[in-house]
Parts: sequence; structure tokens; C-alpha cells
Amino acid sequence: MIINGVTIEDTFAEAFTMRVARIVITGKTARWAREAALKLTGFATSVIGCKCEAGIERELAAPETPDGRPGVSVLFLTMDKESLPQQLIVRLGQTVLTCPTTACFDGLQAAPDRLAVGKALRVFGDGFQGSKVIGGRRYWRVPVMEGEFLIEETFGMQKGVGGGNFLILAEHADAALAAAEAAVLAMTDRPGVILPFPGGVVRSGSKVGSKRYKNMLATTNEAFSPTLRAIAPSALPQGVNSVLEIVLDGTDAPSIEAAMRLGIRAACLGGVRSISAGNYGGKLGPHHFPLRKIMTASAVA
Amino acid sequence: MSDVVTLALRTAPAGALELAAVTPDRLAQLAQREIAALPVRHGGRAAALGDFFVVQGERAARVRLEGDLRLAEGLGAAMTGGELLVEGHAGRDVGVAMAGGTIEVRGDTGDNAGGALPGAARGMVGGEIVIRGNAGDDAGARMRRGLVVVTGNAGQGTGRGMIAGTAVVFGETGSDAGRWTKRGSIVACGPVARPATFRYACTYRPPHVRLLLLYLRERRGLDVADRWITGRYDRYCGDLAELGKGEMLQWAGE
Repeated sequence: MIINGVTIEDTFAEAFTMRVARIVITGKTARWAREAALKLTGFATSVIGCKCEAGIERELAAPETPDGRPGVSVLFLTMDKESLPQQLIVRLGQTVLTCPTTACFDGLQAAPDRLAVGKALRVFGDGFQGSKVIGGRRYWRVPVMEGEFLIEETFGMQKGVGGGNFLILAEHADAALAAAEAAVLAMTDRPGVILPFPGGVVRSGSKVGSKRYKNMLATTNEAFSPTLRAIAPSALPQGVNSVLEIVLDGTDAPSIEAAMRLGIRAACLGGVRSISAGNYGGKLGPHHFPLRKIMTASAVA
Repeated sequence: MSDVVTLALRTAPAGALELAAVTPDRLAQLAQREIAALPVRHGGRAAALGDFFVVQGERAARVRLEGDLRLAEGLGAAMTGGELLVEGHAGRDVGVAMAGGTIEVRGDTGDNAGGALPGAARGMVGGEIVIRGNAGDDAGARMRRGLVVVTGNAGQGTGRGMIAGTAVVFGETGSDAGRWTKRGSIVACGPVARPATFRYACTYRPPHVRLLLLYLRERRGLDVADRWITGRYDRYCGDLAELGKGEMLQWAGE
């Protein structure tokens, strides 16, 4: 399959089931909601080192948020049920509670699994906190120097998908970056999807474990590293001199598939040789995203 | 089964008509004939609901009452769920000791709306009462949880002895509001006669008031002005003769 002169390889991305929460942060202005969201989602690129993956799903206009102020929707993912509330309590407590003007709401209200995040953070109030039930939902009012921090008592948790991906194999680094930027732009603000890496792009795709250092959980993927083509088995066709990866996490597989379709199409620019994807042979992750099938669906649509 | 049970007043009561049996959760279980046979008390004497109301519909947790019910007492008393809509004025003890569900009165109410039964330590423990008019004395008195909203004026002793919960008055709030309050909030958008045992804390924009008033506007269809939603409120803590963890929030401007 060729799109705009770019080969779509006959392979698939392999993704995992994760646990996801959606956090809605509002602020006096979009800027302050964004400031909190950026801190909250900082250092949350990969569960390998950060224990969670998070990113901004999209910005919300004032009428879309519970308190009628500008907001940001954040998706937050971990590998297991236990670590999601732990990560949320630590991170919300240090980033959203501390940020001027913000309030924090659950964005997965229908999810039956509830995480007692606001309930845990309320104790920052040292006994001066109070709660309110509004519309059947309980909120905690935590007194702070600025005034009050309002946070919903519980946040919904559901199964999500982590590790959707595709690789951009380009003739040179500039072409790879331009294609990656175009792909990210096309996938920005897609509901149910985040791109947890810096600017949505990964340059250091990894393999599991190490050939040399036993303590390393992940090390460089030499098969896709162009500088090692001469000394290690390579997966790169001749003429490919730079590879960038886009990683997608989301609330469900169809959302990721829809975003991948837009992203891959946008990445098919000059200087890009092919689009590939990372997988583990299909045995580890329950979610498979075959690139050609995704892009064929696009043609039909 | 129908969507709504309608009770239309056909015989105006001559004296107090006690309607404590009329709660949506109970009517949701009953056929039309059983609803009409529900016991009520009129002037202290036993009577049946059907003696005063034309009953339409059955087995529905949405109940609409029509007519001038100023002499009707205890509407929605101790109800635990469902919706009760009163198209007109209602008497005293609306939603007294209620635990859940919603009551909306499109008119004035008598005393003790959302309050407590005589001698009871607690008033309402859950649910919402919206009075689109004026409330008598002791609205939300001794409430433990829940919400009482008065779009007009409220009489004396609003939220008196509150244990927790929220009372919102858009008009004028009478004297002794919040007296003996332990916790809970009284939000006064209009003038309020505040007991001396409430102490000023600060002037700020309370985020929960914004959330609550937006909820009332968008989900309950109340005509809440922006100046109240986004405005500044003076926060008074009290009653300091009690636990002192309650608050009175008085609108202070935009």
C-alpha cells in the first residue's frame, strides 16, 4: 500500500490494556487550567520510568466544564488498578492543588470503578475541609491561602489502551521531524486519545530488556537505529536515515485507530520512505492495529 | 404504569389537610385506586386522598399536584426518592425529614420546609427542595444533608440548627438565619439578618457556590443571574455559639 508515495508496511501496532482516568481541570483562565495540566502531565511519558502515562486530551471551552470556566481534559493511565489512584493522589496534590484558581473534576462520571482521590486529598485541609453534594456528586472544599480548592471526591476508572504506535521511516532527520509534527497536529484534540511523549513524538523507541546490562528494563532498539545499520541486524531499508515514533494512549481501541488513521495520512510527506509500527509478535498485547487495514478503512470512508 | 401521577385538587380543604402519605416513592408502588384510598387527615379527622383529589396515573415516581394547597401539610414528608412537583402554593412541613429525591414548589410554602419533625434531632437528610416563591419560617431547620432553595424571600430561622447541607435564598433572608448551626452553608444572595454569633472571615468567590448555582440554572431550570454565579461573597463562620464550622455566604457584589 502506498499513500502519497509513502509505503505503508504490512505490519501492526501492538497495544496493551491499561487503566485510565479522565481529569477535568478548570481555571480562571485557559492559561491557568493549562499550567496545571502541563505540570500534572509532566514526566508521564512511559510507564517504564514514570509509572504512569498522561497527556492533555483537549482544551475545553467554558460551557463544556462543570463550573463554566475554561478547562483542560487530561487522560491518565497506569498499568494496574492499584497504581492509578496512588499516582493521581500524589500528582494532583502537587500540581493541581497548588496551582492558582484551579478546580478538579471527574471526566468519567459513568465509570462504576471509583477512585477516592479527592477524598484522600481533602486531608490537606487538616480538619478545616468541608464537603458539598451537588447534583448527587460529592465535592471537597479544601481551604488554601488563595481561597478554596474544589475537587471531586471520586474519579472514575475504566479500561483503556496504551501503546498504540506507528513509526515514521524517513530519508533524513528533518523529514522525519516534519512528518511527525504534521501527524501530531492531525491527532491533536482527538477525543479519547493522548500522545504522552514530548510534543507527541518519541525518538528513542526501545526494546524490552538489554543484551548487556541486566538491570535495564528497556534499551535502544538497534534494529531501528540508523547509526548501527553496519554493525547490528537492521530493520531499516536502504535510504532510511532517521526514524521517529508516535505513541498513542486512549480510552478505547476505536479512538486510537481513528487517530492513527489521521496521523499516518498526515505523516505521508516528502522525504518519508515508509510507515511501520512496533509490536512484540502479537503475543503480548491484546490490541492489534494493522496499518494497512486502518488505512484501507480510511479509503472506504 | 404511567409516567406521572397527577393529583388535581377538586375539593378545597376547609382546614389543615395532612398529606404526609403522598410521597413519590410510595405512589410508585400503588395503583390508581390504592392511591385514591391513601389515608389523609383533614381538620384532624381521617379521610382519603380521593376525597380531595382527582387521581390520574399510577405507579410512577413522578408526582404532580395541582391546586391551591396552602392548607396541605407535610407534602413529600420523609420521602426517599422520586420527583414531587407542586403547581401552586403549599402549606407547612413540605419535605419535612426527607431523605432523597426532589421537590419543586411553584409557589410559596409554609413554615418548616425541609425541616424536622417535632422533637427530632434532624431535619432533612438528603434530596433537594426548590421553592419558586417565598418560604415561611424555619426552612431547612436542623437539616443534616441536602439542599433547600428559595427563589423569593425566606422567613425567620432559615437553616436554624443546621447540622450540614445547604440553603440558598435569592431574596431576603429573615432574622435568626443559621442560629445554632453546626456545619452547613446558608447562601444569601439578598439581604440577611445575621446573628451576632457569626464572624466575618473573608470576601471571595466560593467555587462550590458557582458550581451549585450553575447546577440550579442548567439542571433545575432556575433563572439564576450571572452576578450571583460569578460574584464575590462575604464569608461568615458560625454559629460560634455552636461548633462554628458552618458558614453564611452573603453576596457582596460582582
